[in-house]
Amino acid sequence: MTVLDQDMIANVLRPIEAANGLPNAFYTDPDVHEAEKRVLFAATWACMGFAKDVPNKGDANPVTFLGQPLLVVRADDGEVRVFQNVCRHRGMILVEEKTTLRSTIRCPYHSWCYNFDGSLRTTPHVGGPGKNLHECIKREELGLIEVRSYIFMDTIFINLDGKAPAFEVHAASLLEQWKEFADKPLYHGGPDSSFSLEVNCNWKLAVENYCESYHLPWIHPGLNSYSRLEDHYHIMQQGEYSGQGTVVYNPKLDDTGRAFSNFDDLSAKWDTGAEYISFYPNVLFGVHRDHFYAIMLDPQSNGRTIERIEIYYTSPDMCGDDMADLRRKNASMWKDIFVEDIFVVEGMQRGRSASLYDGGKFSPVMDPPTHLFHEWVAARFAGK
Amino acid sequence: MIDEQHLQRDMLRAHEQHDLKALPPLYLDAARLHESQGDIDAACFFYTHAYVYALDCGDRQVAETAHSKLSSYGRDR
Repeated sequence: MTVLDQDMIANVLRPIEAANGLPNAFYTDPDVHEAEKRVLFAATWACMGFAKDVPNKGDANPVTFLGQPLLVVRADDGEVRVFQNVCRHRGMILVEEKTTLRSTIRCPYHSWCYNFDGSLRTTPHVGGPGKNLHECIKREELGLIEVRSYIFMDTIFINLDGKAPAFEVHAASLLEQWKEFADKPLYHGGPDSSFSLEVNCNWKLAVENYCESYHLPWIHPGLNSYSRLEDHYHIMQQGEYSGQGTVVYNPKLDDTGRAFSNFDDLSAKWDTGAEYISFYPNVLFGVHRDHFYAIMLDPQSNGRTIERIEIYYTSPDMCGDDMADLRRKNASMWKDIFVEDIFVVEGMQRGRSASLYDGGKFSPVMDPPTHLFHEWVAARFAGK
Repeated sequence: MIDEQHLQRDMLRAHEQHDLKALPPLYLDAARLHESQGDIDAACFFYTHAYVYALDCGDRQVAETAHSKLSSYGRDR
């Protein structure tokens, strides 16, 4: 078991002028990665998927997240619930593939059946052939193990250990920051607005790269034409998120003037504003007046991450065939930008094998969002 | 007259062909056959299968019928 260097963690927690970044072990050590599952993911609210994947009653989507078998189900009341994807009898995996269930979740082993709300419905032959009751089998105590969940802007967050403050408390600042968007209906753009990237880096490097604007003119020179470095500002909320905003958002996807419609009732700030936030631990958001996206970071190991990108629009009209070309252009534009970042995050990952690297030195002017994230990680490992 | 051998053959075929929708009425017939012969344990075995497969494939009518029988015999609730 790796023993983390507490002096190096303490260095991360110093003011940015004197701080170093997280030590190499946070990126390269499988033991630290295992510890992160508990300290940074299970104990907080982590993104594990999207509600749009279960649009109808009975839709069931099995997801393996951080090694945990989970099952997302749209219940009869329309609510999305997340369960551990195992039968309470012998721990058998309940659902292997995405499907639409008719009226029960049936274990394929001994056919214990559960309602979509997780309650145990029947236990065939549990008391002997043709006897589905037994005094020791208390159905009311044997429902599926539900994981605390909350849906924010179609993104499913879970708190695996069940001990975090309520999501509304945990994410109070984000809910306030984006209150103009949080209650708006979102419409996923469909298959052309969904893609994944597999990246050979630790998930934290994707968070760090996303939350700072310092790299934009160097890595994304195409953005310089309309979104220069000086048009960006930091977004900082200690212990919750960090990111960047721009004041010159002005998309031009079509020469004929066609454009996506805007969300209703936005304030003037959003006429030319857009914001990009790394919400700790593992989701990257982007909001604009005419579309929204979320990037779920799905850590596969300490050195490999799947980035899952989903793009949403403001009305069903934006999701029809006549807007498909614009959606494809928009998705392509974002994909190009995210692909431009890959060599950077993969290069930093390989750089973390330099044994004498001290975690790095921050720019007190350009790197506060990155330091805020490192500080969050370090503080949680320091028990603060 | 329902013939048990034919029922067994049809049930096996439905299982082999993964014809889930065919299963609930077949198991229901088998349950009724044993019920008519006074073998309640065997009947409830088949009512249980009719119930479970009916739940699985959304056959509400068979599910309600089988569940009602199981409840009346004190085998489910």
